[in-house]
Amino acid sequence: MIDLEAARYRWHPVASSTDLVPRHVFQAQLLGREMALWRADDGNVNAWENRCLHRGVRLSIGINDGRELVCQYHGWRYANRTAGCTYIPAHPADAPARTICNNTYPAVEKHGLIWSGEKPDGQIPSLDVLDTTSITPLRGVTINVPLENIALPLIDYYSSGQRGASGDSVVHYGADTPDPFLLILHAHGHLHTSANAQAVDTPTPDIAFFFQPLDAARTAVRGVLCGVDEHNIGSAALIALLKQHSFMLCRARDIIESGHRDKPVPTPWTPYIPKVSDRHASMPPLTSAGQQAKLRVRLSAIENLSPSVKTFRFQALNTQIESAAPSVLPVAQPGAHIDIHLPNGLVRQYSLINGPGQTDHYAIAVKRLDDSTGGSHALHDSLKVGDVLATSVPRNNFTLRRDAEHTHLIAGGIGLTPLLSMARALDHSNLPFTLHHFIATETDAINRAELENMSAAVHWHVGQDVQQTQDTLSALLDAPTEHHHVYICGPGAMLGFTRETAATRGWADESIHFEYFKNPDVVDDSSEFNVELARSGLSLQVPAGKSLLSVLREHNVGVQSSCEQGACGTCRVEVLEGEPDHQDVYLSDTEKAQGNCLMSCVSRARSKRLVLDL
Amino acid sequence: MIILYDYELSGNCYKVRLLLSMLNVSYEKKAIEFYPAAEHKTDAFLSINALGQLPVIQTGDLTINDSHAILVYLARQYDKSDTWFPISDPVRLAQVTQWMCFADSLTSSASSARLVNGFFYDLDGEACRQEAHRLFRIFDEHLWFNEREDHLWVVPGKTPTIADLACFAYVVLSEEGGISRMDYPAIRRWTDRVKRLAGFVVMPGVFPAGPGPVHVLPANDTFPSAGTAEA
Amino acid sequence: MTQCSDPVALALWHPIAAIEDIPADGKQKTQLLGEVLHYRKMDDTRVSVHHGDRKLPVTLAYGYVWTCLGTPERDLFDLPEYAESDRRNVCAATVGVNVSAPRAVENFLDMGHFPFVHTGILGAEPHTEVREYQVNVDTERDEILATECLFYQPQAAAGSSGGVMSDYIYRVPHPYCAVLYKSCPTDESRLDVIALFLQSVDEENIRAHALVSVIDTQSSDLDIRMFQQNIFSQDKPILENQLPKRLPLDPRAETPIRADKSAIAYRRWLRTKGLQYGVLAAAA
Ligand SMILES: N[C@@H](CCC(=O)N[C@@H](CS)C(=O)NCC(=O)O)C(=O)O
Ligand code: FES
Ligand SMILES: [Fe+2]
Repeated sequence: MIDLEAARYRWHPVASSTDLVPRHVFQAQLLGREMALWRADDGNVNAWENRCLHRGVRLSIGINDGRELVCQYHGWRYANRTAGCTYIPAHPADAPARTICNNTYPAVEKHGLIWSGEKPDGQIPSLDVLDTTSITPLRGVTINVPLENIALPLIDYYSSGQRGASGDSVVHYGADTPDPFLLILHAHGHLHTSANAQAVDTPTPDIAFFFQPLDAARTAVRGVLCGVDEHNIGSAALIALLKQHSFMLCRARDIIESGHRDKPVPTPWTPYIPKVSDRHASMPPLTSAGQQAKLRVRLSAIENLSPSVKTFRFQALNTQIESAAPSVLPVAQPGAHIDIHLPNGLVRQYSLINGPGQTDHYAIAVKRLDDSTGGSHALHDSLKVGDVLATSVPRNNFTLRRDAEHTHLIAGGIGLTPLLSMARALDHSNLPFTLHHFIATETDAINRAELENMSAAVHWHVGQDVQQTQDTLSALLDAPTEHHHVYICGPGAMLGFTRETAATRGWADESIHFEYFKNPDVVDDSSEFNVELARSGLSLQVPAGKSLLSVLREHNVGVQSSCEQGACGTCRVEVLEGEPDHQDVYLSDTEKAQGNCLMSCVSRARSKRLVLDL
Repeated sequence: MIILYDYELSGNCYKVRLLLSMLNVSYEKKAIEFYPAAEHKTDAFLSINALGQLPVIQTGDLTINDSHAILVYLARQYDKSDTWFPISDPVRLAQVTQWMCFADSLTSSASSARLVNGFFYDLDGEACRQEAHRLFRIFDEHLWFNEREDHLWVVPGKTPTIADLACFAYVVLSEEGGISRMDYPAIRRWTDRVKRLAGFVVMPGVFPAGPGPVHVLPANDTFPSAGTAEA
Repeated sequence: MTQCSDPVALALWHPIAAIEDIPADGKQKTQLLGEVLHYRKMDDTRVSVHHGDRKLPVTLAYGYVWTCLGTPERDLFDLPEYAESDRRNVCAATVGVNVSAPRAVENFLDMGHFPFVHTGILGAEPHTEVREYQVNVDTERDEILATECLFYQPQAAAGSSGGVMSDYIYRVPHPYCAVLYKSCPTDESRLDVIALFLQSVDEENIRAHALVSVIDTQSSDLDIRMFQQNIFSQDKPILENQLPKRLPLDPRAETPIRADKSAIAYRRWLRTKGLQYGVLAAAA
């Protein structure tokens, strides 16, 4: 019996590199545990628990769309690298909690194989024989016997192989068994194969056989030939050689299995499957505030998109090479933004422009504004590649539904940023959409080439004055269409006009989604009122001149916030009783009229008292 | 108009539905309830096929039974490109025939195991599974070496043949008979490729593969710029 | 084969076969809770069931033969619609599935999978939303009721062009049985009924029996049976790929969302009943 516990801390081969073709999900097994292995279009190899967090369905029957893995049962999507759930189709308006993350295992490519393990802490075997310029992986073969019964019979590999081979060459071999998980055959001589009806004598290469413990009674043998000069011998001879080995290995397998036919079958190993966190164990409430967490990121690239717009790319700190867990960034969905804590002390919100599956960095696009309150200046003028910054985790108060029959994206100027990430997601999934970008001059048409390449219709409206813009918008919103959704981001006046026009034309509030850069209205904080916190049993007074949010904070009631001016939706609080005095631009008119939630950073009370679900 | 005597859950009928769809031939289905009613053993059906087996097609006065015979007929009759059944190439034609016979051996192993598990047939399920694994080992090795030579399909060559469809049905349904395909990575990749052929349709028990190319080798490690990934 | 020692499962009525599928003569064999049973049709209204030499209690109801390996604690649940004279009652399918019965019940209660698993029939992308619905446990009748369930269906009714929102009501009157009521396309005041009766062959294998009871004058029995067999056969590979096969009652084993309200209530209900067969008990 192998030492199961020790085996958990080793690296094991789980597939050949060539097994992981694009848009495919490989079903692997290691120590009784099933894994879904898939290669994203960016080349990254993912090794995940073969089990959807939702209802336990195997992910190996799912769809690899190049950037995300989609479960077949309810269509949950999981991102490349992080395995974070990015979309739950049953609740298209919700941003899934960032912490719904599948169990992942490390995956490293070496010697033509994919290596993984439960918690590997050592090195991937690197042996003298492997220290050669060329490594040729053999076809992996599964043998239905326990691992400890394989190495010994395989010592006769070359000589027993001769029985099936068509030649008479003599092969000498020597074997060392440095550990139970591998066998190295040092061979001398020639192996007689035939390629294209021509007999070929190939010098017999050394072989390293790695044994992959699939389960208590099953083992995969993954061999690599060492030092075969693939270019020199030619492809026909190479294939003949691989065939010869496949043949020999299959015969060895048959012999080993038949020798084992009457042995008792050991009970299968039962891997421990980690439980989901308590937060996800019960049904989440209708709205869930995300988790408070700060990230530290490094500015890894700056690129000019136009004379006044730059993109900034941030990467997680401490990305190690060949490490078990390269530090990953929490996954974000289209429409999400992060708060960036700038060196000058300012905190500013920027939408992420990442496309689906681009999980190894955060990208933002920032326009240098003259009237900027300092955010765009700080980014444009004082940041350099390599700088380390603090950011919030991504928050999404502008979520993209993917159950629309058509999606209309409307952007004003740099308001394109959240919509760019939406367009990338929609386009990648082949969902129908149209994009309208209102810009002052042609040079403001950022990412034009990429957008023109998309399957959707993209329109640039250049240099329109207020009246022209309003006419274009009015035409766009002419009549409401069922199952169509509109997303708009841009200057306050443009949003205000769009919302009003949509409402008068009969569009349902739920179909119009918007995100303001900032709240254009002046906040009136002259009222005084009382709040009761139903869950914490506190009763507090909010005086004139102070926000509800700051009073809550003074009493250590944790509420997240981001923009703190009623534009971003982060500080939303549920109202149980009382009439709110809404002063934000985040909630729709319907939501405001329902009165069961408010933005605690700017909104107050019309009634004397509010009861909050806190 | 072609009439297909069809049972939705039959793998042999599925082969025919696949080719009809891939060749874009319109047809009419006549449902024959194989289980539990055993309609294929009624006098009415035995008068159409004395063997009491599905599928059968009828067109005009012509009646053809046996899924593979039907595939041959449809390919010759409707495939303008002459690629699905390559009669002008003796070698490939022989290979197609060989793998169709192999597909028949899947009917008596993988398919029988499925009849035991899903339809309560009184057969030796364990023996059927063992035989299916023996066949799958051979099939996986064949496909693995085809991939090495850039051949995507069962019979080496540029295009798929009816042998792919003949083998596909009971391979892709094998898990319903308790036959896992975990140990057959080349088979699993090939099923993805078949699922990506134009005109592919699913049946209950078969999942779609999602869009993708039909390459055999791993992608290079350049990230396609957003919005330009293959569809 | 491990014997069933779960007193809750032993005291339940279990379906074993559609009455109309039993040949007129000859002894038939089946399996229930790991035990081999034999049964025989005596005449059109009588069926006998034996476990070895022991004669088991029998109930003939809703087109199926029901039996009990222990002492039945209560009568089989009510399904009054079955007796309505203008309904077509069709024993529509019996499908073997390699999964536990409670996993199959949950799948039956779940609307979220329609667009992905029953594509083009019971659902279709992009219409994937599961709206809020109500779930209650009727303590008097000891059953779970989910109401106000609405789902967008591409072809809910034969003559409808374009999608419609279909109304569903779900009932779980038995740990291994569930009933759904669905707006009837031909008569607005009535509901079509589809009932799922699960026979636990053993803890991880079932025979899923379906009863369809509809007000439908157009479809043939064969149409109804083939439709139901197709739907069940689409669920089958999903169920057979669920890990673990037994339903985990530990709340931290999986991640529910609001759409899974009825499943959460069902798991809780099974926990209170102390049912063991086909489930993985929650850690104490
Ligand atoms: N060689 C025949 C076999 C067909 C066959 O086995 N059909 C099954 C349904 S999938 C059947 O009708 N079986 C009944 C029987 O063989 O008696 C073919 O390929 O069509
Ligand atoms: S089980 Fe994977 S999405 Fe529900
Ligand atoms: Fe279903």
